[in-house]
Amino acid sequence: MEAKYSDPRKVFGAAVHEEASRNPNIVVLSADSGGSSGHGDFKNQYPDRYFEFGIMEQGVVGIASGLATTGLIPVFCAIAPFVTSRPFEMFRNDVGYMKQNVKIVGRNSGISYSDLGATHHSLEDFAITRMIPGVTVLAPQDPGEIKSSVRAMFEHCGPVYMRIGNDPIPELFPHSPFDIGRGRVIRNGEDVTLISTGTLTGSAIEASEILVGRGIRTLLVGMPTVNPIDRDLVVECAKRTGRVVTLEEHYVIGGLGTSVQEVLSEEFPVRVKKLGVPHAYATSGPYRELLSYYGLDAAGVAKSVEEFVGASG
Amino acid sequence: MADTKETVKELERIASRCRRSVIRMVRSSGAGHMGGAMSCMDIVAALYFHAMNVDPAYPNKPDRDRFVLSAGHKCMAQYAALAERGFFDFSELDTYGKLNTKLPGHPDMHKLPGVEANTGALGHGLSISVGMSLGLKRSHPGARVFAVMGDGELPEGSNWEAASAASHYGLDNLTVFVDDNGLQISGRTVDIMNMEPVGARFAAFGWATKDIDGNDMSEVVEALEKLPIERGRPTAVIAHTVKGKGLSFAEGKVSCHYWKPKEDELLQAERELDEAVKRGGAA
Repeated sequence: MEAKYSDPRKVFGAAVHEEASRNPNIVVLSADSGGSSGHGDFKNQYPDRYFEFGIMEQGVVGIASGLATTGLIPVFCAIAPFVTSRPFEMFRNDVGYMKQNVKIVGRNSGISYSDLGATHHSLEDFAITRMIPGVTVLAPQDPGEIKSSVRAMFEHCGPVYMRIGNDPIPELFPHSPFDIGRGRVIRNGEDVTLISTGTLTGSAIEASEILVGRGIRTLLVGMPTVNPIDRDLVVECAKRTGRVVTLEEHYVIGGLGTSVQEVLSEEFPVRVKKLGVPHAYATSGPYRELLSYYGLDAAGVAKSVEEFVGASG
Repeated sequence: MADTKETVKELERIASRCRRSVIRMVRSSGAGHMGGAMSCMDIVAALYFHAMNVDPAYPNKPDRDRFVLSAGHKCMAQYAALAERGFFDFSELDTYGKLNTKLPGHPDMHKLPGVEANTGALGHGLSISVGMSLGLKRSHPGARVFAVMGDGELPEGSNWEAASAASHYGLDNLTVFVDDNGLQISGRTVDIMNMEPVGARFAAFGWATKDIDGNDMSEVVEALEKLPIERGRPTAVIAHTVKGKGLSFAEGKVSCHYWKPKEDELLQAERELDEAVKRGGAA
């Protein structure tokens, strides 16, 4: 059966709208970004809870902090680098250090703004946001998880960074409960663990199916919370398979893979292969072709995992 | 008008005591951002003792007025006023600069009651204040937000993002005092990055503005009593002040920005401010 695909931004916007109908403290901030973030219906229904600021992301993050001190719960969604790299100090000080209940959402994350080039790619957002103490970092993996993670994000009192993509994403899971800090085992296997997050878990699932045909049984884990990482699950999987591959639409340094390595080097050292984008400004082109170029489509992931299994005996 | 005169005199006495507290903190740590604390002291004292609705017994009451020290390095001024207002015991002042103090070199809202924002990195306080003002307009329309900025932080671009948003949203519950002492760590602000005319810049961003002598308590009080200057607009008070105000040897000197005094200088500062306190007038 063909999977159902949805626009992650629309799913996100609708989920915020739904939560906002139950919680009058939720307000939406826009840096000329609300419409593209799926907030059109919210804006129409709650014009007095929708604040447009124009293109001033540093200002908006600081303003979000000030709003939160009065009991409101601001959500600010825009293109991922512009809500993380650009206003990093406001995120760090005004939101993180001040421990404010602000939800910052980077859309068009990773290389999903593919042809627009490196200014619009976001390949370091996991790294820099997880460095801010107390910031929860989420990367839901399918439409159902976007919805449930939005609810979890509002139920959690504190700063959250969530990242979503741009391209339509398939429904992967029939049920998508969301516990912040918990990963989920998608497929059981004994030969190698593959831990994936966010936009690439679809590729990971396909890759694990390809690998079955090559005699490799993959223990596949979806890890939609990048920080705090599910330490217990990471260690348990490493113990079961003795080797781990990580997969993320992010630089191979600083993100999920590094976080997994940090856990394993302390608790159960095994070989870890990190799949992602090499640490250089990414090239541009159509999204699917870019994923393939960096070996992040199903075929590329399967190939890398197979090589790693072969090389690590 | 006799009442106003007496109010001004009383506020001057309070400001002198606060300046003395600043020196007490410098003695505790051996150094501190004294110059800017002294230049904005009259404004901060007037805010806490004449303008703001705050309650030391209930520091987080939702309808309180907010004070945001955008130039967080001037925190000794705020700490002195908070102690004077009864937010914490004066003995805390003797922990300034010490391990695990509640009074770090830039304020921390989670350590000290009465602090509303974790400032220190410059160019942040105005955005936070705009968010507070916008939120309070909805929840507590009577509550006001007062921010103190340094003139040296005006080149930070984020200030002008916030300034645009404040006027766009008509935040007349927001008042900014620019502590315009004309000096920053490397010299005269006009030489380092000329942001003059400061008032006209805020006015061009849609603010109502007023220039005052920020070390003349009667002018500070008068400005506070006529807020907002214009309904529907945020207010910027450009307060012309003197760095190191109150200390004969420090006034107008860049060297007092971050002051690491020798013992004889510290003794002189204590003597001068003890005399001002005893005299019962302005420092």
